[in-house]
Amino acid sequence: MIRVQGLTKEFAGPRHGVFRAVDDVSFEVRPGEIFGLLGLNGAGKTTCLRILSTVLRPTRGVVEVDGVNVVRDPEKVRSRIGFMSCNTGIYDRMTAWEMVEYYGRLYGIPEDRLQDRLAKIFETLKMNEIRDRLGGKMSTGMKQKVSIARTIVHDPPVIIFDEPTSGLDVLVSRAVLEAVAKLRDQGKCIIFSTHIMREVEKLCDRIAIIDRGRILAEGTLEELAERYRQPDVEELFFDLIQRRDEEIPV
Amino acid sequence: MNWKNIRLVFLREVRDQLRDRRTLFIITILPVLMYPLLGLGIVEMMLTFGEQRHTVVVLNDQELPAVPSLLDEQGFAIQWFEGGADDAPSLRVVRESGAEGSNKTPLRPGEASPEQLIEAARSLASMFRSVHGQDTHEELNLVQQRASGRIRAQDLKLKDAQEELNRRFAQSGIQVLVMIPPGYQKSLHQLEEMVRNQSSGNGAAGFPPILVVSNGADDKSAVAFARVRGALLRWENAIRENTFAAASLPVELQSPGRFAWLEIARAEQVSASVWSKLFPAMLVIMSLTGAFYTAIDLGAGEKERGTMETLLISPARRVEIVLGKFLTIILFSIGTAILNLLSMGITGQQMVKSFGSGLTETVRLELPGMQSLLWMVILLIPLAAFFSALCLALATFARSTKEGQYYLTPLLMVVMGLTMFCLSPSVEMTPLYSVLPVVNVALLLRGLLLDSPQSVGLVVYAIPVLVSSLGYAMLALWWAIDLYSREDVLFREAEKFDLRSWITSLIRTKDAVPAFPEAVFCFVLILMLHFAAMTWLTPDISGPNSGRLILRTIVVQQLVMVACPAVFMGLLLTTSPRATFRLRKPKLISMLLAVGMAVFAFPLSYEFSHFLVAQRVFPELPQHVREAMSRIQSGHEPLWLLVVVYALTPAICEELAFRGFILSGLARGGRLAIAIVISSMMFGIIHMIPQQAFNAALLGLLLGLLAVYSRSLFPTITFHLCFNAIATLQTRASGIEGFMVPFCWKDESGAIRFHGWFLLPAGCFLLFSIVHMIRTVIREQDLKRRGIIAAYSEEPVDSNLLYSQQPLPSAH
Repeated sequence: MIRVQGLTKEFAGPRHGVFRAVDDVSFEVRPGEIFGLLGLNGAGKTTCLRILSTVLRPTRGVVEVDGVNVVRDPEKVRSRIGFMSCNTGIYDRMTAWEMVEYYGRLYGIPEDRLQDRLAKIFETLKMNEIRDRLGGKMSTGMKQKVSIARTIVHDPPVIIFDEPTSGLDVLVSRAVLEAVAKLRDQGKCIIFSTHIMREVEKLCDRIAIIDRGRILAEGTLEELAERYRQPDVEELFFDLIQRRDEEIPV
Repeated sequence: MNWKNIRLVFLREVRDQLRDRRTLFIITILPVLMYPLLGLGIVEMMLTFGEQRHTVVVLNDQELPAVPSLLDEQGFAIQWFEGGADDAPSLRVVRESGAEGSNKTPLRPGEASPEQLIEAARSLASMFRSVHGQDTHEELNLVQQRASGRIRAQDLKLKDAQEELNRRFAQSGIQVLVMIPPGYQKSLHQLEEMVRNQSSGNGAAGFPPILVVSNGADDKSAVAFARVRGALLRWENAIRENTFAAASLPVELQSPGRFAWLEIARAEQVSASVWSKLFPAMLVIMSLTGAFYTAIDLGAGEKERGTMETLLISPARRVEIVLGKFLTIILFSIGTAILNLLSMGITGQQMVKSFGSGLTETVRLELPGMQSLLWMVILLIPLAAFFSALCLALATFARSTKEGQYYLTPLLMVVMGLTMFCLSPSVEMTPLYSVLPVVNVALLLRGLLLDSPQSVGLVVYAIPVLVSSLGYAMLALWWAIDLYSREDVLFREAEKFDLRSWITSLIRTKDAVPAFPEAVFCFVLILMLHFAAMTWLTPDISGPNSGRLILRTIVVQQLVMVACPAVFMGLLLTTSPRATFRLRKPKLISMLLAVGMAVFAFPLSYEFSHFLVAQRVFPELPQHVREAMSRIQSGHEPLWLLVVVYALTPAICEELAFRGFILSGLARGGRLAIAIVISSMMFGIIHMIPQQAFNAALLGLLLGLLAVYSRSLFPTITFHLCFNAIATLQTRASGIEGFMVPFCWKDESGAIRFHGWFLLPAGCFLLFSIVHMIRTVIREQDLKRRGIIAAYSEEPVDSNLLYSQQPLPSAH
């Protein structure tokens, strides 16, 4: 479903030549699976996911979503993915219904099907009471719900969550994680980036630990625990990062 | 492109803007309310202003002749005022004699009583006398003979007492003090006698003047003075008339000039001239304001709120998003402009109606005709399109709405400057102006609104104006779209700026070649130096030694103002001046190409600028430039010196700056084409005089391409040297009688011109060279991108190759 091969992304540093944000990253994600991308802030998670969503172009490497190359056919890729980030991206002067409807139309859903779909989503996510509320007047939790609704309005086979729970309270995070789990059960292919170990343990089928643009380890939780003889994800994570620090001096 | 997506984005943005109270307020409510309120304010002010009375004190008024009588019970007699009964009550006249109840008009609040005023006036008068004895009037006579008109107190011996006088006058509550000299009536009577008897003699001697004191720095005093002066002059005419009549002289002698002033403009045309100034200026400023605030919200605002990324992830393409936003901005831009003009026009009409005749006689405010209004709307569209696209690009470039708003002030100032320039009556539409942005629309609109016979001729310019404006709009739109596909612009975040750390990092962390802002700064520095030099580096071209002086100035200018900034910045701010200034051994082919192109480009460039002057696109060269050129022709200076000054010096200095530091810096981002275009525009701007600037910009393109192609500065120096040397030789040869070269002929002014048939192969050669260079550069760029050509190495080969995969070494 998602295939990333030798992905590298470089930015022109303002005065320091070139900065490599993602360095030769490869992984695959299959349908019905949650792939966790675990890393500190600035490790390259967001850059990686932005390339998957075609907002950034890769410097080198091949990225395919549902068999479509992100460089060659970005529009087609965008219509097959849903992307939700920590930044809720809700318009202040639009109601919940208008917002989701607007994106539904941008995704080219026929008008009659769109209304049914909207009604269904609003029902499932229990959003009917905020249907006509303006974005500026919503709480963070409500905004997050609208964000999820917007992400799945076109029923995409691939969904990307970029730190969806950062800055949320426990209750809302829990709701978001439940929604993600439900989507996996529907057979979606999901990438989930986070720096919170608990979420990874609870949710992810497979994880990749990423630091300074490189994948340090990849596999199911059990595989990793076995390979590094460390059952605790958090310990494993810090071990790996420490080892990497020793390898390359800052 | 999917129109459905553009429509979706457009509709959403419009709804979003309409839901925003601030935007709505600035764009709709403000104009609708502002002008009526402003009009009301003006009306109020005029009413209260008209109510105010100014105080005039007349000392020694019993000395005035009875017929014609200057004063009556009310003050100055009504017949002496231009506005008659309307104007008379605005002056309150207090007479020293206190005669006929004129001092008994009821006092208004804040006004001093007649007794106090007379007291103050007397003390002022005695001050005159105490400072200067009795001869103030005598002295005034002398001054008046020297310079007729209003006398300043400084001209008299009053200088020392002036401050004191000023203070006392201000405190007295008197706006104008009229002092009738003693014996005035008698003197006047004597003069009349003399005229009647037609006897000659110096009657004016010892005829003391009436002294009128006012303070021009005080508005009230100035207004009262103008009224009093008018009344006095009319009264003087009446005296003269009486005297002439008594002496049975013809009345016509009063005004022997016999003028009749005839105004042939129709009433609408006079009114049009008010609108023709106001409307274009308002149209330009309002369409910019409307575009700007909307664009900031749609561009920087969207980035700031984090919704930009979400939108970019939708299947809508960037072009579609930009177009949707652009259409929204243009809608609000046009809407704001039209609402403002409508509100302004209607307020004007309303004021005319409520004021009646009084106002309409001085200012006519009828709206211009239907046709002119239609033109306004037609011209508004490309103007609004240009502003909308430009603002959208700026707003996208800005990291935050705050940063976006900083861009408004310079933009507004440039646009205001251009508009002000167009308001000057001496500026008329020319082919050049018809293709300048903003200026073209404002000038055309002004002409069309004037509704004069000349405006019919202006319609010819409508096509170039519309086409060029739309061209600029497309260009700006292309820029906006380009910005939307640039990751560094879309995802850059607002960072803190600290001047000190910025400067230290500037000096400590150096790269091989300058950064983009450094290149721009270098250009600005050169420009500022040129500007500063305009005042203190102008050689005296009239003197006997002027030829040498001009030459010396040119060399100094080139060295100090062009080469120095670039070389110093290059040494200070980069680690590899060699890469920055492209100091690399060129290939033989590049050098040959440079010489060949210079030889063939000169005739083309020369004939092209002749053609442009003949087509009146550019004005002819200014007088002093032609003079300087004729000096070269006259041949006082040795030829080698001229070649050194006009060819060698600029070739080295300008190339170091423009193809060296500036082009290397601009090309840093890897966008060679844009870097070449911008550097050539900068090169043009430095040349100041329009046709030279245009030529230089074209040559700058060629030179930039040559520098990038050859990766060396030497071919461009060679080209520049050859080109300028040929120009110098050609000018010199024009001065020699009977001198002839193949391919050339002499025109009536004696200048050597090139035959048309020679230009064709020259053009072909040039075209071939350009195509060859562009293809080579594109091929190299492609290879480099694919990593086939080795990128940056320790030993910098040239500045084109620096956008490498490897991080550049920095200098800590």
